[in-house]
Amino acid sequence: MKRSFFHALVLLSLTSGFVSIQTAGAQAAKSGVQEFDPQAFPGQVVDDVVVPVPSEVFSVLDKLGEPNWQQEIRKIDLAKTGDRTRLALQFGMTVAEGFVAVQAEDKETVKDIGRDVIDLATGLGLIKSVRPHAQAILDAADKGDWSSIRKEFDQTQKTVRDTMEQMKDADLSQCVSIGGWLRGTASVTSVVAKNFSADRAELLNQPMLVEHFIGSISKMSSSVKDHATVSDISKGLKNILAKMEGAVDGFTKDSVRDIGKTSDSLLDSIKAAK
Amino acid sequence: MITLFKLRTALLAVFLAGAALPALATVDDAHSYSMEAAESFVEQGFIVREEYWNGEVKSAQKLMIKHQMFKGNEYAFWLGTANEDVTFELKIYDEAGKEVTIDGKSSKMYASMRVNPPKTGTYTIVFSLTSKKESGLFWALAYGYR
Repeated sequence: MKRSFFHALVLLSLTSGFVSIQTAGAQAAKSGVQEFDPQAFPGQVVDDVVVPVPSEVFSVLDKLGEPNWQQEIRKIDLAKTGDRTRLALQFGMTVAEGFVAVQAEDKETVKDIGRDVIDLATGLGLIKSVRPHAQAILDAADKGDWSSIRKEFDQTQKTVRDTMEQMKDADLSQCVSIGGWLRGTASVTSVVAKNFSADRAELLNQPMLVEHFIGSISKMSSSVKDHATVSDISKGLKNILAKMEGAVDGFTKDSVRDIGKTSDSLLDSIKAAK
Repeated sequence: MITLFKLRTALLAVFLAGAALPALATVDDAHSYSMEAAESFVEQGFIVREEYWNGEVKSAQKLMIKHQMFKGNEYAFWLGTANEDVTFELKIYDEAGKEVTIDGKSSKMYASMRVNPPKTGTYTIVFSLTSKKESGLFWALAYGYR
């Protein structure tokens, strides 16, 4: 029944001509009103992935209980480096830490992070585009305007990624996303492990994002891909993906802890100077 | 003669720059309209993400985007265009291929819809814009959550 319906839709798609500009390498997919199979979609696939900001997950954790976000804040002690790949990873990680501090409504930590953002942006040569956002973060922190700070952290990350892409530094732009995702995931695993429930643990079901990061790293230039930390991240992400794919009947406490340990160890590697 | 030639060249340059500007502006305009669609949602407590998808597409061409959503959040998606007289189609499917779209609405320059994800995971957004007048349409898709 489903199949014949699908065939009818494919036929309709073909006759209406919307397969005419199917992109090379696009995944096939099919469309249906009740059932949809992305593997047979006859249209165009948009490959861009918008990675959720940590606060998207944090807001669910808030609804499921009241985590002690203050306990989740980690002091950012970054070793001085001129290594742009590491700086990009640290930038993403620091912005994600900002989201944790916003969740904890900790003004002083938000301000410290705002200043770290300025230092990192200076190291990356992007201070001109980042300074207005960093200043807005510092100003909003004084007022305790948490929604504005959240928006500015999101905007800061977007500005940095856009600027990197304009400068043909797409690999570094991906590193920003990866650093941010790892820090957000470390927070989520920490909160979930402290008060385990299936609903909380389900928030770690993010295989598409992990596959996206692994795929992005594999396409990076050799100078970035072979960077020791990026190489470690690639291996770590494969371990995390295996845990996610293995959680068919839901995540166990152990699998949450394992994902947390891997994320923490990768974050340590990002922070360290080599 | 040289002066006339220079004048013609300058006029041509101005014309070409003028012709190029609307094309550059329309992608941004599409995002502006998606943000216009978001306004009433923001009043209801939705937080708008700064990152969004955009591009140019042939009229009636279907597009597919994979997106991560978290059970417990409510999401709203806003599809904007800079082209007039466009009809929108915007649907979201879960991993089993079941449509999860609720409360879809459209107006002249944008469409919106909401999703309460039944599970945390990957969702597929399928959309198209159709125009009887234009073959290429600029679009922007933004989202928010609460």
